[in-house]
Amino acid sequence: MKRTILLLGVLIWTLPYCTKEKPIDPGWEYDPTPFNLEYPDFFPILEIPADNPTTVQGVLLGRMLYYDPILHKDSTEACASCHQQAFSFSKPGNIIPHINLGWSGAFLWNGKIQGTLEDIMLFESRDFFETDLSRLQNHPDYPKRFYEAFGDKEITYEHIAKAMAQFERTMISANSKYDQYLDPDQFVFLEDEEFLGYDIFFSEKGDCFHCHGGILFTDNRFHNNGLDANPEPGLSEITGDPFDVGRFKTPTLRNIELTGPYMHDSRYETLEEVIDFYSEGLKNSPTVDPLMKNVYKGGIQLTPQEKGYLLAFLKTLTDTTYLHNPALEDPFHE
Amino acid sequence: MKKNYAFHILILSSLVLLSACQKEATNGNVTIFINYNVGGQELVTNDFRYTCAAGYTFEVTRLQYYLSNFTLRKDDGTEYFLDEVFYQELGTTDPSIPIPDVPPGTYTSLSFVYGLDADTNVDGGLPNTLTNINMEWPLSGDQGYHYMKFEGKYKLPGTGEEKAFNLHTGATGNNQNFIEITLPIDNGLKIDGNTMQLQLNYDLNEWLQNPNTWDFEVWGPMIMANQDAQLALKANGATAFSIEPMNP
Ligand code: HEC
Ligand code: HEC
Repeated sequence: MKRTILLLGVLIWTLPYCTKEKPIDPGWEYDPTPFNLEYPDFFPILEIPADNPTTVQGVLLGRMLYYDPILHKDSTEACASCHQQAFSFSKPGNIIPHINLGWSGAFLWNGKIQGTLEDIMLFESRDFFETDLSRLQNHPDYPKRFYEAFGDKEITYEHIAKAMAQFERTMISANSKYDQYLDPDQFVFLEDEEFLGYDIFFSEKGDCFHCHGGILFTDNRFHNNGLDANPEPGLSEITGDPFDVGRFKTPTLRNIELTGPYMHDSRYETLEEVIDFYSEGLKNSPTVDPLMKNVYKGGIQLTPQEKGYLLAFLKTLTDTTYLHNPALEDPFHE
Repeated sequence: MKKNYAFHILILSSLVLLSACQKEATNGNVTIFINYNVGGQELVTNDFRYTCAAGYTFEVTRLQYYLSNFTLRKDDGTEYFLDEVFYQELGTTDPSIPIPDVPPGTYTSLSFVYGLDADTNVDGGLPNTLTNINMEWPLSGDQGYHYMKFEGKYKLPGTGEEKAFNLHTGATGNNQNFIEITLPIDNGLKIDGNTMQLQLNYDLNEWLQNPNTWDFEVWGPMIMANQDAQLALKANGATAFSIEPMNP
């Protein structure tokens, strides 16, 4: 008797769901088109998770979600409200720009999220924006788009994360003056000042390259670069390891001219101030990175002229085409 | 009839298997395990527990390096060469080097390169992975990659002031500076279809002594473009390794 009641209950409970369930619209089709990610040969190989290949449908969906406040639980803002294209997908403040993040394996200033872009995007949607899935599910357009990207009628946080990760992977900046200089076909040369700055950056004199080196201008690791005598917890907040105190994610210096103020707490307004800091403002602390080898004398001790060269070089990392790349623009305002 | 056919196959294949058993010795594998120490003491990072020949107490923070060109050699001079580069990073990578498919015989020495040989140590000589890009050696006029980044801190005697050391080795101009190391294998390593293990002891303290007592204060923290410093380290690094057979 008890059993039949239970069975009946289950039936009654599930019935409305069965009837409510929309049949797949005949117009829906799951046949995703591979998306060709383009970047120069001198960039590192971009690793893409096998379970989330980049597709035209996925990238477009991710782009829409990036610009659509529907993702936010109160619809008050979109990702793009803070991550604005005009500022290299950042905005004045401590907002980390979105630029070549496909090559990153740890995210946020303190490394809270370690893993792939899918992992950070899951965090951004589910935990930060607290996306209300039902609003997407009941939307006139999104369910079809999710179906076309992932072949699933049900929209999940994982699908959102995958779509946004696909879009993020297309956010590639590789057309700064420095990139053009590296490309032998372009006949672009650095000015004397810029080249002298390059030499400071890529030699032990400035020694910026050991952390901000390589073509990505970040080692994607965590360091204490000597900002404070009593550093903030940084990575140790996540790992609990006292040796991680004061260690923060090395930001890329690509488009650095456009993404001030600087450092995780926005303490420096200008690049001049940042250079002064590295030149004579370093503070020693037990976890300061051994690569900050001049910390004992306050910094790398540049002359005013040398500071100018270094600044001139940093400005060769600006890629204005990235700020106007139509493929990354708001898809709702065309 | 069909059944009969299957029976024949069975007999035939067991014959093949049997003859395989009687075959001559077969290829085997060697696995090399890197075992760190600092002057015979256990390696513990971020702890001022060591004292170097020049008299400073020091700590080890990071160690990243390449090993390549592993070669096993027999007494008759024949050798087995593994054309592969291994990146090692303390606390991150698996500290073992697999040498697969080694022809049978008794090997009495192991050689390898600490760093990269001249053909590999050129710009773009290694695949464009994130790891290799972080090892680039970008100084003007030079090329290739860091062979090693060995970083830590030392204390000045007296004041106890802490300073950083960066033992970064690589090529300066045309001086390649990679280290070729050859170690005898006591009692030999007998390969015959088996997997043998070797322990490669790596004493980090040797970078700071033997033959050259390394004084952090004398050389200073910037040695990438200093060929004298590179040569001193090259000689020291050559004594940092020894082999211990792990098989009874
Ligand atoms: C209110 C402003 C704001 C909004 C809206 C916003 N972000 Fe951010 N974002 C930030 C800030 C601030 C940081 C750095 C925070 C930190 O590290 O603690 C950041 C960091 C990130 C990072 C890490 C980058 C790196 O290199 O580690 C990613 C990825 C990111 N945001 C994606 C998103 C996505 C996706 C959305 C939309 C779902 C979004 N953000 C919405 C402010 C914002
Ligand atoms: C030991 C590694 C290391 C070295 C060497 C280093 N940096 Fe940094 N840099 C960092 C880290 C980590 C941060 C972020 C620190 C924070 O916000 O707490 C940073 C931040 C910056 C920023 C601000 C970026 C932003 O988006 O806010 C600039 C600009 C910068 N560094 C330039 C340089 C220059 C120029 C040099 C050479 C003179 C240099 N760095 C050397 C690790 C390093």
